[in-house]
Amino acid sequence: MDCSMIVCRCEEVTYDDLVKTANKYKCSSRELKLRTRAGMGYCGGRTCRSMIESIVDKENEKKDEHVPLKYQAPIRPIHFGKLGGMNNDE
Amino acid sequence: MNKIIIIGAGPAGLSAAITIAQNGEEVLVLDEYMLAGGRLLGQLYEEPTGNWWNGITESENLYEKAIQLGVDIQLNTSVYDMEKQNNQWIIYTDNGTYFTKNVLLATGAAEQPFAIPGWTLPGVMSVGAAQVMTNVHRVKPGKRGIIVGVNVLSSAIAMELQLAGIHVKCITLPKKTKLAKESGDPLEVMNSLLHVSHMAPSKFVQLGSKLMKNDLMKKMGISFYPKNGIKMWDIPIMLRKAVIEIYGDKVVEGVKIATITPDGEVVKGTEENISADFVCITGGLYPLAELAAIAGCPFYHIEELGGHVPLHNEKMETTIEGLYVAGNITGIEGAKVAMSQGVVAGFSILNHIQDGKFNNDIEKSIKEIEQTRNSAYIQFHPNVEEGKHKLKKHWENYIGKELCKMVK
Repeated sequence: MDCSMIVCRCEEVTYDDLVKTANKYKCSSRELKLRTRAGMGYCGGRTCRSMIESIVDKENEKKDEHVPLKYQAPIRPIHFGKLGGMNNDE
Repeated sequence: MNKIIIIGAGPAGLSAAITIAQNGEEVLVLDEYMLAGGRLLGQLYEEPTGNWWNGITESENLYEKAIQLGVDIQLNTSVYDMEKQNNQWIIYTDNGTYFTKNVLLATGAAEQPFAIPGWTLPGVMSVGAAQVMTNVHRVKPGKRGIIVGVNVLSSAIAMELQLAGIHVKCITLPKKTKLAKESGDPLEVMNSLLHVSHMAPSKFVQLGSKLMKNDLMKKMGISFYPKNGIKMWDIPIMLRKAVIEIYGDKVVEGVKIATITPDGEVVKGTEENISADFVCITGGLYPLAELAAIAGCPFYHIEELGGHVPLHNEKMETTIEGLYVAGNITGIEGAKVAMSQGVVAGFSILNHIQDGKFNNDIEKSIKEIEQTRNSAYIQFHPNVEEGKHKLKKHWENYIGKELCKMVK
């Protein structure tokens, strides 16, 4: 397997980074995300989320306790102006 | 203030909107795409009756019907957040904010990707992207393609690409990794394919799959599975070869492929290159339930339904008042099932607004979901019924616990 293969395209986190980190810290998917920044980029993890989860699933033995990554707003990329509610006249 | 808002203008959302409008209530439908229809837009296949199921026509029909009934449909509108305040939902979109008491989430499904070396090269896409390019935008994704990932979705789309005059060189497995999950395991893939074997035009495949009832037979089937694949619609489906990497200088030029053992391990020395100008990666579909998660629905992971689904009952009600779900957000199934779920959700919302006038309609339409499911041509998972049963148990447990809390 090519170790430099990118998994999170937005933050350019590689497969190797993720597997090594998951191995070293035996961490949850949230911790893996925070340690590597995988899934924290522009797209909000819409591409790599499931891959982060499956790496944690494979590396972590306590599978049943696996808490999936949380969803947070905004769930789609939007402009700051719109996020600030400039158009909410109602 | 809107009385009812539906998020998602696919088969489920539009069917719900039609049901609601037919019974005299106003309804607003929001969708982020520029066309109504959702994943239905890409579908094109021949049914056993000889009729062609054309997703674009079906979508247009639903859209026209809804518009004629006075449904307000806002396209190009992405919902990015929702919350409940003072007993009403606030729906935040990039086209303004909406307020309502009743929300139906009909957000459908998304495609599960997996990474293989070279997957970030231009020319690599999800199989659904190739489908939308071909069937909706009428643009060929390339001349000669390879599909990595063997599942119901990819075999159906491979046939559609072939119909559009695109040469699909083969459908094959990815190399087994921590990312590709079951997609790289020949036996798992074979299992999931057996229940769609009735779709195979080849008598050989149809007969062969009838013989593979037990695990031993399946293992033997994989061992003796021809290395160069079995052809479906003239496309070799290879379960004993896997893509190791996608190669190319700046763009896709081809894939490196190798023979694998029945356990999915690469046999050294069997590597070869196959040229291609586009590559599709597919790990199947999962319910797209971000909004249900934000709204606070409890979730359960149910393999048979394709992943994490928000807890709901047969009437398509969630555990939160004024929040309903329908379509693939409740589990991966075909468009016809999604439509019948939309009808149930529509009646449930009507029933809530008009004080129980629609109990009979709900009951009747729930039965129709089951009939549609049983006669479905494409079953995405052989044990959908079992998955639905598991969910029902979760619902009963959850409601039981809530009742206990109230009594205390």
